[in-house]
Amino acid sequence: MKSYRTHIMLCAGTGCVSNGSFKVKDALEREIQKHGLQDEVGVVMTGCNGFCAQGPVAVIKPDEIFYQFLSVDDIPHLVEEHFLKGRPVEKLMYIPPSEKAPVPKMGDIGFFGKQRLIALRNRGMIDPEVIDEYIARGGYSALVKALTKMKPRQVIEEIKQSGLRGRGGAGFPTGRKWELVAAAKGDKKYLVCNADEGDPGAFMDRSIIESDPHSILEGMVIGARATGASHGYVYIRHEYPLAHKRLIKAIAQAREYGLLGKDILGEGLDFDISIQQGAGAFVCGEETSLIASLQGDAPEPRVRPPFPAEHGVWGAPTNINNVETWANVPEIINKGAKWFAGIGTETSKGTKVFSVVGKVENTGLVEVPMGITLKEIVFDIGGGIPKGKKFKAVQTGGPSGGCIPASLLDLPIDYEKLAEVGSIMGSGGLIVMDEDTCMVDVARYFLEFLKDESCGKCTACREGIDVMHGILERICQGNGKEGDIEMLQELSEAVKDSSLCALGGTAPNPVLSTIQYFRDEYESHIKEKKCPAGVCKALITYTIDPEACKGCRLCAKNCPQDAITGEAKEPHIIDQDKCIKCGVCFDACKFDAVLVK
Amino acid sequence: MIKKASDKSDKVGAVLVVGAGVGGMQASLDLAESGYKVYLVEKGPSIGGVMAQLDKTFPTNDCAMCTLAPRMVDCGGHLNIEKLTYSEIESIEGRAGNFKVSIRKKARSVDPDKCTGCGECVTQCLVKNIVYLEPPDVPKVELEADEQTKIDEIISRYEGGRESLVPILQAITNEFNWLPQKLLMRVSEVKEIPIEHILRIATFYKAFSLEPRGEHIVTVCMGTACHVKGAPRILERFERELGVKTGQTTSDMKFTLEAVRCIGCCGLSPVITIGEDLYGKLTPAEAAKILDKYRD
Repeated sequence: MKSYRTHIMLCAGTGCVSNGSFKVKDALEREIQKHGLQDEVGVVMTGCNGFCAQGPVAVIKPDEIFYQFLSVDDIPHLVEEHFLKGRPVEKLMYIPPSEKAPVPKMGDIGFFGKQRLIALRNRGMIDPEVIDEYIARGGYSALVKALTKMKPRQVIEEIKQSGLRGRGGAGFPTGRKWELVAAAKGDKKYLVCNADEGDPGAFMDRSIIESDPHSILEGMVIGARATGASHGYVYIRHEYPLAHKRLIKAIAQAREYGLLGKDILGEGLDFDISIQQGAGAFVCGEETSLIASLQGDAPEPRVRPPFPAEHGVWGAPTNINNVETWANVPEIINKGAKWFAGIGTETSKGTKVFSVVGKVENTGLVEVPMGITLKEIVFDIGGGIPKGKKFKAVQTGGPSGGCIPASLLDLPIDYEKLAEVGSIMGSGGLIVMDEDTCMVDVARYFLEFLKDESCGKCTACREGIDVMHGILERICQGNGKEGDIEMLQELSEAVKDSSLCALGGTAPNPVLSTIQYFRDEYESHIKEKKCPAGVCKALITYTIDPEACKGCRLCAKNCPQDAITGEAKEPHIIDQDKCIKCGVCFDACKFDAVLVK
Repeated sequence: MIKKASDKSDKVGAVLVVGAGVGGMQASLDLAESGYKVYLVEKGPSIGGVMAQLDKTFPTNDCAMCTLAPRMVDCGGHLNIEKLTYSEIESIEGRAGNFKVSIRKKARSVDPDKCTGCGECVTQCLVKNIVYLEPPDVPKVELEADEQTKIDEIISRYEGGRESLVPILQAITNEFNWLPQKLLMRVSEVKEIPIEHILRIATFYKAFSLEPRGEHIVTVCMGTACHVKGAPRILERFERELGVKTGQTTSDMKFTLEAVRCIGCCGLSPVITIGEDLYGKLTPAEAAKILDKYRD
């Protein structure tokens, strides 16, 4: 590893790569070369920084200056000013919404300020493709400790004491799970890392693997030490090609360094890891169907018990944990259970990674201590709602979770508190919704998702969700009937009670929570045939405000139906019979003259 | 048979009910109670149907047997219902009001009048096992020479049995863009996995297609973050722009339009991908313009 006076930590997560961070890297290196700074300034391609919406982003070390929206054209100026003349470039810095002065240092930006990094401890600090950088940051020292100074029993005890709970969503105590597998009888035991992050609107696992793949591998080897497992699988979604690639590389490097394979660190532990890619099925996140998928069977869940701890992959005792759970393990072993248990609330310890997305200023990935309030996440970290719109709800837990209204914004986040208000922790998707989001449409959206993804094995889930989706579809079409809400509630209970796995068991949550907190929206869809947020197509009309219309003809030119007529410089009119409500005119108008009602 | 006295036509007051499931039984009972003679025909050896095999019913979670059993007892003992079990309809003639139906009553080889349903004959029977027949010979898969080498190379990359199936299907998709049936037959042949199982797996997952797909695969992310930021309108715009529905391919085999459940780039929502390229923070109009790059 070469050391430089200054490092440019340029983000190479999926978001920034798609915005051209590799082109920026080439340009940076070219300019650095040009000014003869190649021995002083080094470019490091790091994993996902988390502040994806501002990409490509870079952090300059050691002065901690944060640059955003970098483009190839900015680079000559940036290199000359910052690295040659030592003057940070203000126009590439982050400016908080509603303020004018830029914030130069990363730590001072609201988005990063309240975060506490444990699972994401190395994000943006290392090149994820170089194992030496991970080791230089203290990587694999926890493994050494677990192998040489601790007995398997002590490792389990440490995890148990720390209070770490499953970060995939259900929150089962990790230490207890390990204990069960360690105690189970069997010649062979397996570990699985569940990276089948199916929740729409969540990308914690992708980001952790992209920015720090070795933390997961180290966690798994420690898990193998504790439980006696001899082989591990990482089950990763095929939608994450970059994460997959980095994982392959990381495993190869770990093998080369003797950290995976036979006789790890000369301590007699044999453990290796292989990767299995998913192929696009949400239900594979459920542990029993994940196991079926690993074995090449149809990925349908089965009845538990027996739990995977007794009867898992190939019938052997198997321990399945989520990516984020594994990434927490090395830190706990290194810093001790007491330290970890000191963070968070009474029942939920440590931190949680959330993807804060949707109608919020700063979208991206954040890691916060348990017990933080929703308000802090949405407004302090997320920077509030764009365009001065009103906050309406925040959705947590993906299709299994619920929508939490503004009145509950002071809720401290932990597993129990979220369950109390009808949602779940889930894997950590946190989708912010503003006044323009229709809650009936959101419920319909989730049920459409679940209807498609239901594996079809049990009747309650297959038929029940379909019927519920039909009712919601009807309500959104303006054909809702008196009694529909009650029917939805009744069906929800039936689906909850009689589904085989958690997919069906939690499927009604989005419906029940939106009915609970936004019943008025359902009622105005059903009784007044109106969509207050202006989303449900059948219930809205596009009209042109004659006062605001300048007669520029842009909308008429773009209308695919030729439904807009009017002379140049005269107010235009939309022919409602021809209009298909595609919204093209709304997007095209530069004067906000197209109204949605 | 009861004839309606006042009716001048040749209509008869008897009804034939086909199928003695819970619906058929209830219909027969209602008719019989109102004075009609009912012939209840059932293909199986007993009345009761599928519901007899269920524990609970959706959506009310009622006990299936509690619903079914009283009807079976009533039906079994009702004098106005003549039960024709283990029977099938051969032909129907006539018209509304007067049908002539011939029914084949299959040989039961048990005298139902004497049988008490003790089940002793079942346990005593010596011929219990079903005869196992050799599966029919599957014709050898004929492939073009280059296809043959390609597919065999792909298969040889993965060891093991069923657990290698998903990776193999992924590799075929990467190479050919879809899963041609012939190649799947070859996988079945080499790996000795039944083609039925392969098709089951291939149709279960979203990533696999059994139809040819276009040169460029346009996927619109429909994750929650993208949804609230207007992804449905982008998808609609693409449908109009390409003249196909989601999941279809344009007739020139240039584009296939697909919706994906979330590609984890929620910070850039709404997001689309075309092939390996990713585009974020789009409006429908911008999204449509991107297509031009791939049209050449």
